[in-house]
Amino acid sequence: MARRGTLAAYGGLAILFALLPLVLDPRGYEMRVLCLVLLFAALGQAWNLVGGLANQISLGHAAYFGIGAYASTILQQVAGLSPWIGTLAGMALAALLALLLSVPTFRLKGHYFALATLAAGEAMRVIANSWSDLTGGPVGISVPFNPGSSVWMMQFQTVRPNYYIFLVTLILVTALFWRIKTGAMGYRLRAIKENEQAAEVIGVDTYRVKLVASLLSAAITAFLGTLYAQFQFFFDPDTIFGLAAFSVKMALVAILGGVGTVAGPLIGAAFIIPMEELANSYFGNSAAGLSQFAYGIVLVAVILVNPYGIVALFARLRGGRRRDRASRGGEARP
Amino acid sequence: MTAPLLETRNLTRRFGGLVAVNGVSLSVSAGEIVGLIGPNGAGKTTFFNLLVGLFPPSSGEVLFEGARISGRRPHVIARAGLTKTFQNVALFMESSVLDNVVTGALLHSDLGAARAQARATLERVGLAAVAEVRAGELSFPERARVEVARALCTRPKLLLLDEVMAALTPPEMEEIIALVRSLRDEEGIGFIVVEHHMKAVMKLCERIVVLNFGEMIGDGRPEAIANDDRVIEAYLGGGFRRPDRAGGSDDADGAGGAKGARA
Amino acid sequence: MQTIYTLTQTLVDGLLIGGIYAVISIGLSLVFGVMHIVNFAHAEFLMIGMFVAWYAWAWLGLDPMLGAFLALGVTFLLGMGMQRVLIKPILAAPQVAQIFLTVGLLFALENAALLLFGADYRSVSTPYQTEALSLFASGGERIIVPYAKLFAFLMALGLGASVWLFLQRTRTGQAMRATAQDATAARLMGIDTDRMYMLAFGLGTGTTAFGGAVILPYITASPTVGSQYVVLMFTAVVLGGLGSVAGAVVGGLLVGLIQSFSALVLPIQLQNLILFVIFIAVLALKPEGILSRRTG
Repeated sequence: MARRGTLAAYGGLAILFALLPLVLDPRGYEMRVLCLVLLFAALGQAWNLVGGLANQISLGHAAYFGIGAYASTILQQVAGLSPWIGTLAGMALAALLALLLSVPTFRLKGHYFALATLAAGEAMRVIANSWSDLTGGPVGISVPFNPGSSVWMMQFQTVRPNYYIFLVTLILVTALFWRIKTGAMGYRLRAIKENEQAAEVIGVDTYRVKLVASLLSAAITAFLGTLYAQFQFFFDPDTIFGLAAFSVKMALVAILGGVGTVAGPLIGAAFIIPMEELANSYFGNSAAGLSQFAYGIVLVAVILVNPYGIVALFARLRGGRRRDRASRGGEARP
Repeated sequence: MTAPLLETRNLTRRFGGLVAVNGVSLSVSAGEIVGLIGPNGAGKTTFFNLLVGLFPPSSGEVLFEGARISGRRPHVIARAGLTKTFQNVALFMESSVLDNVVTGALLHSDLGAARAQARATLERVGLAAVAEVRAGELSFPERARVEVARALCTRPKLLLLDEVMAALTPPEMEEIIALVRSLRDEEGIGFIVVEHHMKAVMKLCERIVVLNFGEMIGDGRPEAIANDDRVIEAYLGGGFRRPDRAGGSDDADGAGGAKGARA
Repeated sequence: MQTIYTLTQTLVDGLLIGGIYAVISIGLSLVFGVMHIVNFAHAEFLMIGMFVAWYAWAWLGLDPMLGAFLALGVTFLLGMGMQRVLIKPILAAPQVAQIFLTVGLLFALENAALLLFGADYRSVSTPYQTEALSLFASGGERIIVPYAKLFAFLMALGLGASVWLFLQRTRTGQAMRATAQDATAARLMGIDTDRMYMLAFGLGTGTTAFGGAVILPYITASPTVGSQYVVLMFTAVVLGGLGSVAGAVVGGLLVGLIQSFSALVLPIQLQNLILFVIFIAVLALKPEGILSRRTG
């Protein structure tokens, strides 16, 4: 019964978002903000697959995002390939990177995993900046302009089609997340999150489960990178592989709204993205850094107001705090 | 003569310079209930961890149904039919009791069948009433039972029980003893049981193996073991017959166990 | 073919910069060792140290080698205050909260600097800036040791040794090490662990700021300078073992050497890539990084 109610609520929400563009200016600022909301909700959902369900906090997902954006854009530039095809290359490359990274990181947890993924994201930024022949280097790269509208080339006169592509993607990714969370894989990922050793001993192939989840997460993130490139038409390594712009923000979207929950990234994105846009337009360019400063302060303040809150508020994690501390102490003394 | 269910050959594990398990050769037949006893820090938990693959042996090997399993990962060993419960209880504390047990059942079943199997197992160990309760909210004896239920759902052929009777009242111990017996009689599951409560071990087990400083110093029927001079000496040295675990935990995993072995 | 001079020069360069990495990493390692918090914002204190030293030079005419002590003092107090207000409440919180609090702090500090100081690069001029020692000169070959780098190295060495002596020889230092080993036991022995946490955080941020200040004569200050040191710093700390002060020194020197020797064979931007690879590999292989919640 409850499930049917929830499903109806999600359905209603999807219909509302499908109708919204009809009353908005297709070239307007609001449409762009809504696109970003949908994009980040989907990114948060993809991050949630590993970060939320298995509690492997990645601070390097921008690596996959950037790979997706660069792969489709470069293939368009050099071969005139449709981004729908180019993104497949991006998704495959991102999955390959996730596979490579899984080898050194599969035993890592907590801070250590966060550090390793952070380094991986930064490494991609360094590569993109230095491999100018391929990426155009620090000055950035533009999606080749294609006059007129073309679904095949994913280029349109207004952002309304982009909006619908984002929306459909978000719905699919959310459905996938829900399916995994409630299925056998969800049980295994939660077992890994709560006690990896015990999970192994009762037969969970922890390495494989984490790997499958991160391959999916990486491929989806890369696909979203392509969508972003086709939406922005221009990006540079420091933005697309940036810690603040994507790696942290997509994690934050998932965490603020309730880590590991289906609704979490939706709530998180609906809250963070408009707030950030508001701050940007309010402060404007009068003071460089003010909106990022505010972003940092809000982040710190939210955690201070309720250190467990970001996790607990929606995820109903009431107990277990003492164990958190104990395990943290344990990590210092292996 | 059929191959034993479990066989260890010269199983040895060192932690740095300390030998936690030293040259243990043991074989266990299908459906046997074996007690594993020894003073604190004798290497019992380390021995269990070597069997289920939580760490590899320094030397020696473990055979299960005639196939070498040492060096394999724990989930492979669990699939083969060998798993254990955790002495300090390692449940998924934020999940419900049912979900804990379902995770074990998923080893051999899809989700629907796993749920049914988990419910049946909870019924059997007397936890059906708390199926929806978060594991972290249970009492210690209840948690130990969830451990047993979760392990049972992986359909083991041999189940290693690490102090599941600790902190139980005598009637509760009787229940566990009856449960283990019936699981053996009806499903043919074998058990190795680590327990400090000597009476319970003597009552439950048909055979007792004694470890001291990582070495096997006794193996025989309970009456014989109770009268064995070396065993008595080992126990008198280490504090004979402690009524409960007030003296602290037994050899913990890893380095803790190794340190204990030196003490 | 590399001559013996090139190799020696590379070794000297690596050690000179490695000494700096050592002192800035000590701070990070101290914070982790005592509080078990990975402070993602730590490199920002290097930036703050640079600005304190720059203002001390611009307004008071203090040489950065002296301004470094001012930087140490200012960030020591700043760090203690931040520990009290920001870090203390989340010491027992889930790691997710800890990670994102320090990441938020990183953004806040970097952009606060941008607002306060502007995006301009700032440098100092000192009499020794362009001077260098020339060693073993023969036939056009020589080993060059710039004074700026030499002084910075010696200062870093001095502070590193002082921190080490403080931890080993003073009562407070011993109490801090006891807190690091087992906070509960330390509390039972009457150690005020809250005070130790504050001191350790202040000392950690101060040490790193000191390292930032002494390099001012040859590195320009800017609000984003910290980001260039994040991975370097973490690599050094992880190489030596997260939480170990002596390890941070070894790690710092190693990172300096790796950097200078890889410069012989690799283009500049790929040098950092080497560090990333080493960093991830070390994280994976070090036991500290391996799953440590042992149950059973």
